[in-house]
Amino acid sequence: MKYKLLLVLAIISMSINTAFAHGDGPDFFRSIGKIYVVVGVMVITFIGITCFLIYIDRKIKKIENEISSHN
Amino acid sequence: MKGIWWKGLGVLLMLYVIIVGFLMPLRPGITTAFPQNIKSGETSVITASTYNARLETLSASDLRAWLVRDTTYILQAQSVKISGDQSVDVTFDVPENLPVDEEVLDFSLVLDAPEMGSIVLPYSIFIAKKGSDLSSGMTAWTSDSLGKLNKHKGLAIPFRNLLFETLRNTYFHVSLWFSMFILFLISVIYSIKFLRKREPYFDNVASSLVEVGTLFGILGLATGALWAKNTWGTYWTTDVKLNMAAVSMMIYAAYLVLRSSIKDGDKKAIISSSYNIFAFFIIVPLIFVIPRLTDSLHPGNGGNPGFGGEDMDNTMRMVFYPAIIAFTLIGLWMSNLMIRYKKLRNRIDEI
Repeated sequence: MKYKLLLVLAIISMSINTAFAHGDGPDFFRSIGKIYVVVGVMVITFIGITCFLIYIDRKIKKIENEISSHN
Repeated sequence: MKGIWWKGLGVLLMLYVIIVGFLMPLRPGITTAFPQNIKSGETSVITASTYNARLETLSASDLRAWLVRDTTYILQAQSVKISGDQSVDVTFDVPENLPVDEEVLDFSLVLDAPEMGSIVLPYSIFIAKKGSDLSSGMTAWTSDSLGKLNKHKGLAIPFRNLLFETLRNTYFHVSLWFSMFILFLISVIYSIKFLRKREPYFDNVASSLVEVGTLFGILGLATGALWAKNTWGTYWTTDVKLNMAAVSMMIYAAYLVLRSSIKDGDKKAIISSSYNIFAFFIIVPLIFVIPRLTDSLHPGNGGNPGFGGEDMDNTMRMVFYPAIIAFTLIGLWMSNLMIRYKKLRNRIDEI
């Protein structure tokens, strides 16, 4: 599961540039002194931490299920 | 309150880093100068585009401009005309002869005004020689000196051409790598502790820290790739810094594969602990030594970036150091969740 999440993360970070490139003129990321690159970096970091939260959430859910079925 | 204060501290520091890191402006700078090629013995108008300079708030008499070769050969501008908020026309009356006997010489364009400070575009203007008598026109080159240049007023981070606002990535991308390293360091300490005491808890701590550290490293690679696409035009180049970072991530990916491939709990812990110690001492030269021995495209490399240089100054350190602490504390929080999960897992498996 973890590797799947990492794969998704890699694909998102690779496609984030092209996804925005068609939005607002040819060079969205390079406008205003390339500030949107910094925003993109923060978005990637946030997505990464969220993926970790989802990963640990699933693991804890599994334990909860085991405990409830044991009782 | 006990046991939670450092998590809160991590979040507060992160908030400080995001707010101050984004609000602190960039110092003014020159982005381009046109035309780049002029001839000696002619009067040429150079149009310079600036960034963050807010030229319309200045009066033209305050703004001074030079073409600078070195401390002796300086040509003062004949006139300076502000043509827009971020654009200025500088007129130079270039003498017949160049100060050095070369066919073409490169000069740096320097603008200076109070409040704004002095800004420079290095090696930007090329002057082709027209005359042949070296001695004539020498007074024009040597009569002026830069004198006392102004300093920029107000709190601002350095302007770096090509980087522009992405200098702020120092707070996020670079801090991710630093905190990854701190997490790996703590993990090595716990691996050694485990090998000495054979307490399963120590192995839980070490492996959780490696998992979060690896995630930070992969995020470091992904954020770096996004930046590289918009600065170098490609997600990945065969740069030594990038390749060594990728190799160190693969070493830790191998750690995770190794752990998941061994079923027996005790054996798994012993083998992965010793692997972890080796892995850490391999990535130290990979990340910190080898990129400094050769040339690298990556900012902050070559020479000794440990002492700062032009990429890092005290205004940036005000945010950069808290950013490292913030990412480390958040990483520790994430691994803390993992450690607690593994503790529960072990206890349930025993039943």
